[in-house]
Amino acid sequence: MTFFSVKKPLNPAIALVCGVFVVVFGLVVATQQNAWYFFVVCAVVMLIFGFWRALVKVGIALVVIGGIFATISYFANGSWVAARTMIYRFCAILLGMVGGMSIRTVDMTRCFQQMRVARHITLGMLIAMSFTPTLRTEIARVREAMRTRGAGGILNIRILYRALLLPFVMRLVNISDTLALSVETRGFVMERTPFVVYRPSYVTIFHILYMLSIVGGALLVILL
Amino acid sequence: MQTNDKCAQLNTCTSARDAKAAVVATNTQQDSANIEVLVSHITANAATAHPYVASSTGRDKSAFRRFGISDVVFLAIMAACMLLSGAVMPLITQVPLFGIIQLCLGLQFSIFPAIGLMKVRKVGALCFMALFSGIVLVFMFPPMFVCLLACAVISELFTIVLFRNYGKNIACAFASALYMPLTLPFLYVWIRFFYTVEDKAQAGQAVNAYVGGDVWIAIGMSVAVLAVCVLGATIGVKIAKELKKAGVIKK
Repeated sequence: MTFFSVKKPLNPAIALVCGVFVVVFGLVVATQQNAWYFFVVCAVVMLIFGFWRALVKVGIALVVIGGIFATISYFANGSWVAARTMIYRFCAILLGMVGGMSIRTVDMTRCFQQMRVARHITLGMLIAMSFTPTLRTEIARVREAMRTRGAGGILNIRILYRALLLPFVMRLVNISDTLALSVETRGFVMERTPFVVYRPSYVTIFHILYMLSIVGGALLVILL
Repeated sequence: MQTNDKCAQLNTCTSARDAKAAVVATNTQQDSANIEVLVSHITANAATAHPYVASSTGRDKSAFRRFGISDVVFLAIMAACMLLSGAVMPLITQVPLFGIIQLCLGLQFSIFPAIGLMKVRKVGALCFMALFSGIVLVFMFPPMFVCLLACAVISELFTIVLFRNYGKNIACAFASALYMPLTLPFLYVWIRFFYTVEDKAQAGQAVNAYVGGDVWIAIGMSVAVLAVCVLGATIGVKIAKELKKAGVIKK
């Protein structure tokens, strides 16, 4: 997840908890007029803690996508309140993504290993989160092969099935076999064996401050 | 070393790997042939004697088997496919129509689980896929992660009750077809709770707000979701069968 990379990443567990809190609390208070206190505080806290690049990208998404949906909501319901609520919901979702999506996959895996999470789960999460670029490459390859063979457009269901889906899944099966062999070759085992985590991540005062700041923003909305 | 001694040694082997290592030590072709037959017997005995043998074979009668590395890797890749194909979910969650999320995601969330279950025919495979795909959903829409995980568990429970294991193709199709439609009642509960917390004045009218005042829309959407998921499960099973015929997915 290097799309939202930051110099001093948060502890993955803290980022996960804060991200979930921002999304859930933001969606709950989205209909309140003063919900913007919470989102502004979250944005300022994220800016202070180094997530300015992520905030810029999220801001663009909020303006474009949130704007479209808010416009639709305004014309559908005929009130500014509905549009404002839609904007607040998008703020909650997009701001909740900032902390979590800035965590590197390998850091999250190390954090879960420190917490003694089962190896099946850490391995699967690592692969699921970091495999997306490979999938895109494979789809592009299969489509290139389709064009080379003159197979036709993917709007035809038969061509979609025969020329895209089948070769794609076949490629995935081969890749998974190779990947599994590669993982085993590097000494990875599923059984509980003693291990040492390389570059463990610990909760510091830096992370506690981040969490308390987010909670403080929530308290502002509740108390004011 | 005499053949009888080697066979006696092989009888003490508890895994196919040890047995095959012993086969390498033979020095006559006849001995190798005899020992290979013995190895196949030992492997069959080991599989039935130890219910937690990590193998990906299909039609074992035991319900619960341990997952190997290749199983977890394949399930994780299928989960990644589900995630990639479900990238539009954050936009769809804001559309005020009951079941729209399930309708848009139903096809891909039944094709890939079906393929995953057809290759890894073990109880818990669907739960693993839900967990691996849900870890990213936690950041986008946490209730959906909880929904998907709970529905994977329920879907597997139904499958175990009806079919006992994933030995039959129909069991794989059933589990993957049931997976997404089960999120509909959870969605109903979430919307009801969500609007109750948000605005007490709308308590009890949550579903109506999404359905537009007509319960037949909700019923129609539910039927459509079920149809899409059954279609997806059928396609997934068909793909897996073709791959098995081609020798890509081994028994």
